[in-house]
Amino acid sequence: MSVGTEEKIEQRGSALHEFWQNLKSTPKSFLDTAFRGGAPKTDRTRSTFVFGNVFFHLHSVRTHRWSLRWTTTWGLGIATFAAFLITLITGVLLMFYYKPSPDVAYQSIKDIHFVVPTGRFMRNIHRWAGNVMVITVLLHMARAFYTAAYRKPRQFNWLMGMALLVVTLGLSFTGYLLPWDQLAYWAITIGANIAASPQEITNALGITQHFDPGGMQRLILLGSDTVGPEALIRFYLLHVMILPLVLALIVAVHFWRVRKDGGLARPADADRRLGPAKGTYPIFTEQPKKTYQLAAIVRGRTPAVGNGPEGTVPSMPHLFYGELAVLMLTVLICVALALIANAPLKELANPGVPENPAKAPWYFLGLQELVSFSAFMGGIGIPTIVLLGLGLIPYLDRETAGTGEWFGGPGGKKLAWRSVWFGLISVLAIESFVIRFGWLREWFPHIPQLVITAINPGTLLTLAYGAYSVWCVKKYNSTRAGAMALFTCFLCGFVVLTVIGTYFRGPNWVFYWSPADWPGH
Amino acid sequence: MSKNKYLLLISSLGVLLLLVAAAVQENFLREWRRVQASGRNEEGSIAVQLRQIVNPGLKTSDRCVSCHVTMAPGESTVTGSKLLTAHKPVVHDPSEWGCTVCHAGQGQATDRADAHGDVHFWPDPMIEPRFSQAGCGSCHAPLGVPEEERLSLARNTFARLDCYACHKVDGRGGMIRPDGGGMEGPDLSRVGINNYDRDWYAKHLQQHQQATQGPWRNSFAAVNDQDRALLADYLATTMAAPKLIEAKAVFNSTGCLGCHKVSGVGGDEGMDLTREGEKDPGQINFAHLAGGHTVENWMAEHFRSPVSIVVGSQMPSLGLSDREVDLLTMYMRSLRRKDLPASFTPKDRVRAVRFGEREFAGDGATLFGTFCTGCHGGNGVGRRSPGMPSFPAIASPDLLGRVSDDFLTENITKGRPGRRMPAWGELTGGLKPEEIGKIVAYLRELGVPYQPDSKPARWIKADPEQGKKLFASICSGCHGAQGQGIEGPALSNKVLLATATDSYFVQTIGQGRRGTAMLGFLEPHPARPTLSQAEIESIVAFLRTWERGKK
Repeated sequence: MSVGTEEKIEQRGSALHEFWQNLKSTPKSFLDTAFRGGAPKTDRTRSTFVFGNVFFHLHSVRTHRWSLRWTTTWGLGIATFAAFLITLITGVLLMFYYKPSPDVAYQSIKDIHFVVPTGRFMRNIHRWAGNVMVITVLLHMARAFYTAAYRKPRQFNWLMGMALLVVTLGLSFTGYLLPWDQLAYWAITIGANIAASPQEITNALGITQHFDPGGMQRLILLGSDTVGPEALIRFYLLHVMILPLVLALIVAVHFWRVRKDGGLARPADADRRLGPAKGTYPIFTEQPKKTYQLAAIVRGRTPAVGNGPEGTVPSMPHLFYGELAVLMLTVLICVALALIANAPLKELANPGVPENPAKAPWYFLGLQELVSFSAFMGGIGIPTIVLLGLGLIPYLDRETAGTGEWFGGPGGKKLAWRSVWFGLISVLAIESFVIRFGWLREWFPHIPQLVITAINPGTLLTLAYGAYSVWCVKKYNSTRAGAMALFTCFLCGFVVLTVIGTYFRGPNWVFYWSPADWPGH
Repeated sequence: MSKNKYLLLISSLGVLLLLVAAAVQENFLREWRRVQASGRNEEGSIAVQLRQIVNPGLKTSDRCVSCHVTMAPGESTVTGSKLLTAHKPVVHDPSEWGCTVCHAGQGQATDRADAHGDVHFWPDPMIEPRFSQAGCGSCHAPLGVPEEERLSLARNTFARLDCYACHKVDGRGGMIRPDGGGMEGPDLSRVGINNYDRDWYAKHLQQHQQATQGPWRNSFAAVNDQDRALLADYLATTMAAPKLIEAKAVFNSTGCLGCHKVSGVGGDEGMDLTREGEKDPGQINFAHLAGGHTVENWMAEHFRSPVSIVVGSQMPSLGLSDREVDLLTMYMRSLRRKDLPASFTPKDRVRAVRFGEREFAGDGATLFGTFCTGCHGGNGVGRRSPGMPSFPAIASPDLLGRVSDDFLTENITKGRPGRRMPAWGELTGGLKPEEIGKIVAYLRELGVPYQPDSKPARWIKADPEQGKKLFASICSGCHGAQGQGIEGPALSNKVLLATATDSYFVQTIGQGRRGTAMLGFLEPHPARPTLSQAEIESIVAFLRTWERGKK
């Protein structure tokens, strides 16, 4: 447009001119209205950027420098959430092609795998992100535990985290059945039998006919006596709707609580440890004029002048870069894994040909190993004890020493190592003994089942861990030390049992050094 | 923060790189794109696009033609890559019927290994090309196939009588010869399915008698009854798949149905083979197999030595030649059942399923070959297989001379309970009485006629107590303490005791049965005691006590 025309418009009058000017500035005013407060260039606008946005305002406006160190969290919580987002997006894409009916489910997965453009890629990403999520949620819990981040005022959020762990496992488990192949079918059959394991007790007492909580649990899970169409539609609904909604809800609470509980746990002297900030973005560039307001809403004793409250930096951009980086790293890992390895798809589910060994998903193989000793103890008893113990930790450990520090508290890293040794040696010893010599049933074939339910390698291991942890409470004169001992032991037990269940158990759950030694059928 | 920035940058670049790699792989590196890029027709290069054959009736949507473009509708003139060759002429045009209906494999896949089913856990991989006629078995049921010798005799008869002068079968014959010796008659390639005029001979003969010159005069002559029966046998089998028929003839000479059932006919000892050709490689244990992990290789090696492929298999090693192994493998792969809409069900399948027509020919030799040779050996010479009691030589004159046709019929119909000989009656093994009659007649051809003595069926009046002692010391080693049979046959057998005469037992104990371990006890022998006639009679009396005990 030439200068002449513009002049003419100007001359002709205001309305048209205004229209033209408005049209020209629309992109800018659109951005202004979308991100009110202007570009995040000053501390004030950075704050507005965060609390003016429904998604960002789950973060606090300012973040402590302690939280931003990689070693504080290793980004595990964000990585878990990132993995959830990835499964959400790829999962919705898969839903366009997946048909949840036994007649066609397997075929539709075959179609996704072989025919749908990028279908295999998406399914691989979905599968890998699901596994990454299980791993990171476990590591995230370990991080929160070892930095004693569950302590006051974060006790409730620790419970929310446990709920998220359970929902994550539920999501992964329900997704396992959907391909309707042999792997899925028999893994879910095993899982459903674990749900029915209270029958071991009721059978031993002879009351299953009248009172059968195990059978009831399995019936609720499967909607039928066996894994069939009802189970598939149940698992599908749980997997694509109910559990993701529940997860999103709890995640919202979890994040909100992180913020309301004063950000991530940190040592009381975090500021001193970090020293003066240098080289990074200057803290509080503007002379604070209304710090009393901040003092009113941010924990701290005195209004900070010339410095951010408690050595914080604006969340935008410091925290957001970190979060985005972790998100992209998670995406990178999932995409790379998806290109390297295909998600498994075995032959069509065949209720007449049991897989031998039939194995549950890998994260349940530790439980399956315990189930092989006693279905009730492995499937219900010990997991309940572990979850109860985990839930009680923040309410029993009311100490303050070591909060926010890795392996903080009495004993420290040395106790953690000692517990690793104790945990590994006990589980390996008891497993070796059972694999070499068998257990009560082999020695006394007619022994009542209740005796085995009470006395089996699983319960003995739990007792040993418990006794060791009580000893640690006494020795270190600290509940935290006992908790650390117990948590470490259970972690070691989980890892060892899972590895044995995954790699060293063959047909009929017999121990083999390698699948190459498995007998042919 | 700068650390995070670099992490973000590197991760993002990494994701971008991987996504581009995935996109390139998906869009540019696909084999079918390269194949199609090489394709040319009269108008120049062809469009590079996903191609498929859809046949809603057969529920196929085969994308095989994305590589095998020339088999797609209207693309037969395309040339280029070596994959771009036309399908050899067949009855079922691939551009209409699709590929997987005959060849199996995964029609919806577009990668070579995936499409051919050469991937883990694809339950229905492509049938090896050298066995491709096995694909006919997905829909067709070749009917009335005789045993091998008779089939080749029948085929040779067709050639010997020069029917090829006028008739075309499987692309051979039917040309008009320069000397005017032939003319174009109907193509007989598929009359086994679609049937042919049963009065052909009378009409041919009439034409021949009326004609004074030309092919009707020169190329046709009277055919005797025996040759006409052979021609009928041959024509019943034509279905444009001669290799498959040959394979089935081998099957019908190997006695597999003695232990296995196909479509409800056969023994119960082994697995039902009705759908054996659909065997899912995911369910096969390849642990003991040398060589390729394919269904065909598994089957072939299993035929060579069943027990070394399937641990604990009860199937005897049949000593087959390589040719027989190949043909049997092909026949096994043809045992398929595609669920077809009625309009696609071929006539031969309808005749087999709805009208009970047999898939084997009705003559004694074929019936014996189909049901008996697996255990009793070709020509009834018996079979010994490691780890199993020997199977009796039923063509031995020592048996056939001592038993009546009724004995044979009864023993075939009711079997030998407790032993591996199944009951072949209509309700169990599935053989009709006239078929069992044919088998008995064939046995008589192999051996000798019944030479009955004048005594009644039960004439022995001896002391069973003495026989009991003798049996325990002399017979029980082979026949078992309770006569249940160990290495030798079971004698406590209801059917045997009910049908065998006293004379049969006395003669068999006294003179033995040649070709088996049973030697005559009347003859002096250095290694075991000799029995007197009275002692033998007492043993028979003892055998009879089992019969009473059973009642």
